[in-house]
Amino acid sequence: MPINESLTQQIRDQARQLLTEERVDLIIGYEAGPTGRVRPAFIYDPAEVERLIWGDGCVHNLINYLHDKKHSPKRGVEPPRVGVVVKPCDSRSLNVLLAEQQIERERIFVIGLACEGVRDGGGELAAHCERCTDRAPALYDMLIGEPPQVSPVEDDWADLDHIEELPPAERLSFWLREFDRCIRCYACRQACPGCYCTTCMFERDDGLWVDMGIELSEKYVFHLGRALHLAGRCAECNECERVCPMGLPLSLLNRRLVREVDALYHHRAGREEALSPLLFELGEDGSPM
Amino acid sequence: MKYVTLKELKNWLNRLAQEVDLIAPRDVDGHVLYRPVASSDEILFDYERPELSAKEFIFPATEVLLRIEKRGTEVTQEEVLPERKQVIFGVRPCDAHGFAVIDALFLEQDPPDRYYAHHRERTTLVGIACPQMWEGCFCASMGGAPDDPTHLDVLLRAVEGGYVVEAVTEKGKVLLKGLETKNRDQKPGFSEKTRLLEQPVPVTEPARWRELFEDRIWMRHGERCLSCRICTYVCPTCRCFDVADRVIEERAGFTRIERIRAWDACTSTNYRRAAGGHNSRPTKPGRIRNRFFCKFCYYPEDFGPLGCVGCGRCVVSCPVDIDIREVMGDVAAR
Repeated sequence: MPINESLTQQIRDQARQLLTEERVDLIIGYEAGPTGRVRPAFIYDPAEVERLIWGDGCVHNLINYLHDKKHSPKRGVEPPRVGVVVKPCDSRSLNVLLAEQQIERERIFVIGLACEGVRDGGGELAAHCERCTDRAPALYDMLIGEPPQVSPVEDDWADLDHIEELPPAERLSFWLREFDRCIRCYACRQACPGCYCTTCMFERDDGLWVDMGIELSEKYVFHLGRALHLAGRCAECNECERVCPMGLPLSLLNRRLVREVDALYHHRAGREEALSPLLFELGEDGSPM
Repeated sequence: MKYVTLKELKNWLNRLAQEVDLIAPRDVDGHVLYRPVASSDEILFDYERPELSAKEFIFPATEVLLRIEKRGTEVTQEEVLPERKQVIFGVRPCDAHGFAVIDALFLEQDPPDRYYAHHRERTTLVGIACPQMWEGCFCASMGGAPDDPTHLDVLLRAVEGGYVVEAVTEKGKVLLKGLETKNRDQKPGFSEKTRLLEQPVPVTEPARWRELFEDRIWMRHGERCLSCRICTYVCPTCRCFDVADRVIEERAGFTRIERIRAWDACTSTNYRRAAGGHNSRPTKPGRIRNRFFCKFCYYPEDFGPLGCVGCGRCVVSCPVDIDIREVMGDVAAR
């Protein structure tokens, strides 16, 4: 992955300062592993900030890791204060978590990055970046980089229309064929900042609809159920699709609901700071208040 | 050396597909996977390491152990296991090695796992040597090789226009009876170089691992873990499972239940959750530590072989770059 030297240096400087001044207990950013693959990095010591990097291979949504840092590791000790490197898409999922009161804003220092899009494995621009128009995070405590001037590209939803136009029977067989490859590894759920239930309803011992079988019917219900649980909450970071080892086009499920919620309620999750969760905003008759 | 042309091999496979459950590498929507095939036309002959191991055909991801019916007070139980013979064609040597690792627990311990034993017995492994090491591969460091016949019944090695055929076991010899081969002095187009790793991966003794139980290695690699199950499910040696009863049908005076077992993963958050809700392995570093200790300390101590064959699948499929080779290197360097 090409490393952006200038932004990398700014991130390191910022991280060093935050850690040295003890404004945060750790920084969550990116590093390059021994084989050159980019991965999340957790830096506690100012002497280790040189591990941090920035470049277009920084695909992971690090907001997910804030769930691990919500709780104190020891009784009588405050939970850690975290500095976190955040891209525009990641910032939307942070907004969702703030609105859902999962994260304490004052415990987080947001190192926002101006973003031109990321490339998984150093290849083509990620699909969600092609349709993204955000060049700066929706919230940050410090912005690194100059947001590039881009003329907004209207999302034409072509990927979704292509599926939606199929007759129902064909659409079903498309999805069953995709779900068939699923190995029920739950990587999609585990990588999703919005999936933070302590016990997922699809993994309950007393689950009535889904048992632990790794079979088509379970996979089908799991994926549709997960998508519905993210309706109005999915920030479109596309981590679920990126981490899927079997290449399931999960963004199509999420985008189906994103479009529906947007059309009905003009709500795009995480676009504005601390936008209340959609369901809190609806009047008794189901219309937006 | 026995030699078979690709054409003859395909004819044989077509006949075989009529007689047995034939599993072979296939292109499934752009993914190379071992899958049931009905004819040789569906089989990939020029393929990389399949993305999932062949484990699921001996140790299914979900398997019905018992069908239980209750009528009034009368209970009947029935075991349903497939009787047909099975051939896994094109299995890579590392996957065959993986079965040998699982055998040490499921076959060689008392009592053996009868379901696993049944599938193992009905299955013949016909391997094709890897023409090279693939991304992440390190079988050569784990006692294997891209052309290792040891754990296979038959090994094929590609040569011009066909394959050199080697029957490794009696089972392999029996299977090959229907295959027309010619004697030909042809060396497989295979160089010593394919067996070598640029950087061998160091294996550390179990006793040394024990000393590193509290080491900071586990926090360092475990903190970024997603607690998903990719590494354990793509692994040819991970063999944890859970058992549950599922109600299939229920009406007045009649209940039909299936007792199933399904894969489980020590990397998942609730693997160690006990009755009452206590979780004795609640953190990511603790779970990652267990996965590696299982492979290089507990399993070899308790059952003999190392719990890793160096197939490299977990290396390439981990979304956060938890690299078993790097962990093994860190352990060796401590």
